[in-house]
Amino acid sequence: MATDAAPAAPVEGYARTELMAICAAREIRDGEVAFIGTGLPMLGGMLAKATTAPRCVMVFESGVVDARPKRTPLSIGDACLVPGSLMLGGLLEVFGLLLQPGFVDVGFIGGAQIDKYGNLNTTVIGDYRSPKVRLPGSGGANDIGSLAKRTVIMLKQDARKFVERLDYLTTPGYLDGPGGRERAGLPRGGPSSVITDLGLYRFAPETKEMFLESTHPGVTVDEVRRNVSWDLRVAARVRMTKRPTKRELRALRTKCDPEGIFLGGGG
Amino acid sequence: MAEAEVHDKLLPLDEAVRAFIPDGTRLRGCGIGMRKPMALAYELMRQRKRGLTYLLSGWTEDADLLIGSGCVERLEGSYLGLEAFGLAYCYRRAIEKGIPQRIAIEEYSNFGMTCRFMAAALGLPFMPIRSNLGSDLLNVESFLHPKAHVMDDPFGSGAKVALLPACHADVSVIHAQRCDTDGNTQVWGQTGDDLWGTLAGKRILVTVEEIVPNATIRKDPNRTLVPGFRVDGIVPVPFGAHPYQVQGYYDVDAAFRRDYAERSVTLEGWQMWADEWVYGLDGHAAYLRKLGDPRLAKLRAKRILSGQVNYGY
Repeated sequence: MATDAAPAAPVEGYARTELMAICAAREIRDGEVAFIGTGLPMLGGMLAKATTAPRCVMVFESGVVDARPKRTPLSIGDACLVPGSLMLGGLLEVFGLLLQPGFVDVGFIGGAQIDKYGNLNTTVIGDYRSPKVRLPGSGGANDIGSLAKRTVIMLKQDARKFVERLDYLTTPGYLDGPGGRERAGLPRGGPSSVITDLGLYRFAPETKEMFLESTHPGVTVDEVRRNVSWDLRVAARVRMTKRPTKRELRALRTKCDPEGIFLGGGG
Repeated sequence: MAEAEVHDKLLPLDEAVRAFIPDGTRLRGCGIGMRKPMALAYELMRQRKRGLTYLLSGWTEDADLLIGSGCVERLEGSYLGLEAFGLAYCYRRAIEKGIPQRIAIEEYSNFGMTCRFMAAALGLPFMPIRSNLGSDLLNVESFLHPKAHVMDDPFGSGAKVALLPACHADVSVIHAQRCDTDGNTQVWGQTGDDLWGTLAGKRILVTVEEIVPNATIRKDPNRTLVPGFRVDGIVPVPFGAHPYQVQGYYDVDAAFRRDYAERSVTLEGWQMWADEWVYGLDGHAAYLRKLGDPRLAKLRAKRILSGQVNYGY
């Protein structure tokens, strides 16, 4: 799915979209199977492979396993994902044979609205029958959010996106809280983190509620709170997100998106 | 004569659309981010088809155009946007404002649609999945009642499943790299859910980059997606997925897609685009002439050949 990726103002030598992609890469452990969409998650996956997780396996929903693209793909079906990949199938292979039985460690998804349990809306803004904005819909997001062992959510943050109540629940997070996924019959999973242009969030194990773990350099907790429409929980000690390293930035700019298609400044 | 029979399947694009896709057809498209049936979509627009139900997992410009031109009334699927190029504005105008007409969508997820096509292709009434549970995809219905049914595993595992109804198409169109004159159709690169979606069609129409001898097909039978005996019509349309990619034939025309994304934001802009690239052209050949040889030459795929395997025994 398309990800919001308008160029952000550079913060001390890097843009916040770059930091988002770098945060995404840091969420992937070496050797994991990661289910990737286009946009920032794809850059995160490519960056992880180029830096800390060289043995991570990137799976794309149109059927590619362990892609090694030589340019920035414009679509999950981009033909540049094919040469040099490990296995090629279709949706059934990646959703049916890898995701549903539980072989995908981490999936990346975005959204237009998120609530405190990490549920996502990518379908409509406003009333479903007569919406203010019609968005693309689930695509594979619901399947990734339902079936991956954990998900990482990426979106630009403002109070209209961080809402008390979603206009439509496209992709399950923890649904109505503790036990919600189990009651619905989902076999596993749930969001492990949320990466925005302001900070990084995780979910409390007992309440399943999102809390602020770190703010990005130059962002205050107050600024974060102003951009959330519920009473946000924050960690006892909110840290500052680790700044991008030179190695991370260099790899991101030269190997993952040299034309600036998703990072801005080009394309 | 067998020879005469097989050649009966070959027909030009306009005739194929007239013969196979009457108003009201349940039509299944193809491709996901590549191999989209664009030449066919343009011809559907030129013939002013009405009342189509368009079925697919991931729609992009194909569906947006068919909505903008009033061909499509109903959709069953999971995603409609222009991927990296933004939102689909004809879709937005239709859903938000009823322009050019009200349309209805029954939405599922990508895996859900794959399973619905698979059920149809396998001759089953439904398919169970473990996805979608707890979401509005199962709670909010449009025109399928019920659109899904949640049940416990009758064999006592304790697992819950959602049963999704088979998705049959009157006609499935597949845009393929190559086929022979009998319709034995080979596809490579990512296949999306084209195996299931194509075989979910009561009739199958192949639009194809290249017609090859039967012997070429038989040399590499692992690559055959659809056997000729399931195929009803074959339409040769080189560059028939433009501006999309076809693996081994040509690359995405990103400038073309960006131009569409920008101009289709307003109704007037979209109308001008459609007049320029669809209504004002009398067919696929004119479309290719307008694109021009230098542009097409630039899109042609470089050669990245597969290795060969030994089919010997």
